[in-house]
Amino acid sequence: MDDKGRRLAVKAKQMEERDLESVIERAQGHDAEALGEIHRRYVRRVFGLCRYMLDSRENAEDATSEVFLKLQRSIESYDGSIPFPQWLLRVAGNQCIDVLRRRNRGRRVIVEVEDGVVVEATSSEPSPLAAVISMEERAQLRVAIAHLPENYRLPLVLRYYSELSYDEIAQQLGLRRNHVAVLILRAKQELRRKLAHRSQ
Amino acid sequence: MECYSELTCALFVDGELTADAARHLRDHLVTCQRCRDLVHALRAESRVLTESLRELPEEAPSPEAFSHLGFSWVWGDLAMMAAVLTLGSILFVWIDHLEIPGALEWFNPFSLNGLTNLMFNLSYYFAHGGTAMLTEYVAVVGGLFLVVLLGGSVLLLGRRWRLPKNGLGLLIVLLTLSLPSFALERRHEEFVTIAANQTVDDTLLAIGNTVRIEGVVNGDLLAFGRSVEVSGTVKGDLVSFAKRTVVSGSVEGRIYNFSQSLDLDGQLGHSIYGFTQSLRVADRGHVGDGIVAAAGDVSLEGEVKRSVDMLLSGNADVSGSIGRDMTVTGRGLTLTNTARVGGNLTARVRQLEGVHIADGAIIAGKRDVQARVRKSQFARSRFYFRQALSFASAMLVGWLGLILVPGFFRATTQAVGSGWRSLGLGIGVLAGVPVAIVVVAITLVGIPIALMLFAAYLTAIYLAKIWVGAFLGWILLRPTGATKYDWLLGLLLGLLILTIVGFIPYLGGLVRFGIVCLGLGAFAWQLYHASRPAMTA
Repeated sequence: MDDKGRRLAVKAKQMEERDLESVIERAQGHDAEALGEIHRRYVRRVFGLCRYMLDSRENAEDATSEVFLKLQRSIESYDGSIPFPQWLLRVAGNQCIDVLRRRNRGRRVIVEVEDGVVVEATSSEPSPLAAVISMEERAQLRVAIAHLPENYRLPLVLRYYSELSYDEIAQQLGLRRNHVAVLILRAKQELRRKLAHRSQ
Repeated sequence: MECYSELTCALFVDGELTADAARHLRDHLVTCQRCRDLVHALRAESRVLTESLRELPEEAPSPEAFSHLGFSWVWGDLAMMAAVLTLGSILFVWIDHLEIPGALEWFNPFSLNGLTNLMFNLSYYFAHGGTAMLTEYVAVVGGLFLVVLLGGSVLLLGRRWRLPKNGLGLLIVLLTLSLPSFALERRHEEFVTIAANQTVDDTLLAIGNTVRIEGVVNGDLLAFGRSVEVSGTVKGDLVSFAKRTVVSGSVEGRIYNFSQSLDLDGQLGHSIYGFTQSLRVADRGHVGDGIVAAAGDVSLEGEVKRSVDMLLSGNADVSGSIGRDMTVTGRGLTLTNTARVGGNLTARVRQLEGVHIADGAIIAGKRDVQARVRKSQFARSRFYFRQALSFASAMLVGWLGLILVPGFFRATTQAVGSGWRSLGLGIGVLAGVPVAIVVVAITLVGIPIALMLFAAYLTAIYLAKIWVGAFLGWILLRPTGATKYDWLLGLLLGLLILTIVGFIPYLGGLVRFGIVCLGLGAFAWQLYHASRPAMTA
């Protein structure tokens, strides 16, 4: 019974994927209904990314609208080489970075100031982040992420929300790959510190 | 061999090390407990981060919010507007109860046209009746507006315990209005004009035939008149009650509009809240926030930054751009080639033939256009449930009345029998009490008393049908013993008849109006009688 249920679930997922392919195909042919369907499926995911990357709900909503407005054209360039959600999140990430760049009057969003030497965390204690399990703790973690400085938050979110590679993040933010790695590690260290404080 | 740095381990966990380096590290892990632990911890950390982020920030919007009529703040405001309109319509009946055809239109809840026409034609009529009449009218309407808005806010506050953002805005406007110390400049002339070189530093209350703002108002502008024109700048909100309102300059706050027509050709900082016959945002018009409106026809040629929510009796024409969702209920909808909607388009129209969406129109979100099938209310089970509930509560109230004040109850019921006296007195009370409320409210200090009076007024209106119902039952049954149960049975029968008659189209509305007047008159008469001995004693 259980096994059957699982098989059904797998089948449903496969169908959904096939369904997604046809929706994308139709959307590429400017089918309004298909575009609407994509909006329905992914607006939360896209908004989530924008909200993590931008400083206000308003801006995040603006950016989300903009992503889907531009999608009518940009979806033509989607070639299926990566999963669609990932591609869409990459587009959304670019949109947010554009917004941030515009805010900084065309300057780079994150400026490299140091040479990438990381201060090693000397303690060998287990990371408090790994112990985050309950919903409440996760909510705390999200708040902590939202309060990270921008130069830590952006690479972290692009890595773990959009699941971009370090190279892609480096390209989007206009940084060197090594620096991206350092920033992500710093972000995690900062989060560990914050959560350790909170749990004391 | 020396241990790896945390950075290298993190790169390894994220799959970002070169194949060669990854192999070396893997070899090292076999022998090194410390690095193994570190890699494990980093892996767990990555997983937690991915999963936690996936759960989305708490404030993530639901894409279905609008199609499912979720109680977001927009609907909160709409509900508030509905409450305001309902309360307002009760109070407005007295303005001209003699104009029967118009009054009949009033009772037709499906005709917004009739409603607005009556209202604005009345205002026009009063405006032409001379300044004195206008003053009186404006004072009354202004007061009503205030009381009704406050009533609506309180209603909503009680229901939700917290006001939606924009509702709060309304309430704040109201409270600022009622603060006696608030700096308020009053201008009351036939033509109120703030010339281009003039600046008003406070909130301006302008009452006149024509109100024209060419200069700058640093506070809010409250305008009552036939024509309100803003070609200058209003830094605060614009509250307009006029036959025609034109904004070609800029309003930096919100527009609360109760005009027959509103034209926005200039810049608006925030939202439009409107109850209007015709609403137009011209191609140079810019709305910095959204639009929430009940209107006849709407034409959007300019830009609206956020959502548009409209309840229309006519058509919506969109050739401009809307930044977010567009939700329309109305007769028809037209989107031209230049139209742009940045979110979902949700439309409920009478017939799909009334919808024209050009191929060039851009809609970013979901397109949900449906013909609204209006089921007769009699075919809905909820309707019967509601009727049963209201019937039961009326019976309960009647029963309480019989137990607590039996003498008064019976006497009032019999007073209904006086017919014309009760009817006349009832109309007088129905018309007079709101005036009294306004007079009390205008003194500002008296607002709490006005509110209590208003509550008592509404209660009395509710009780009216009980007196009339009991009277009707009493006539029909002519109970000999007249025990409590005879009375209750009579009330049951009477209310049943009244309820059924009340559903006859048009005539039902008139009957209900008659019932309210009769019952109210009898109640007032009996109250007067009951208090007279005490006063003379």
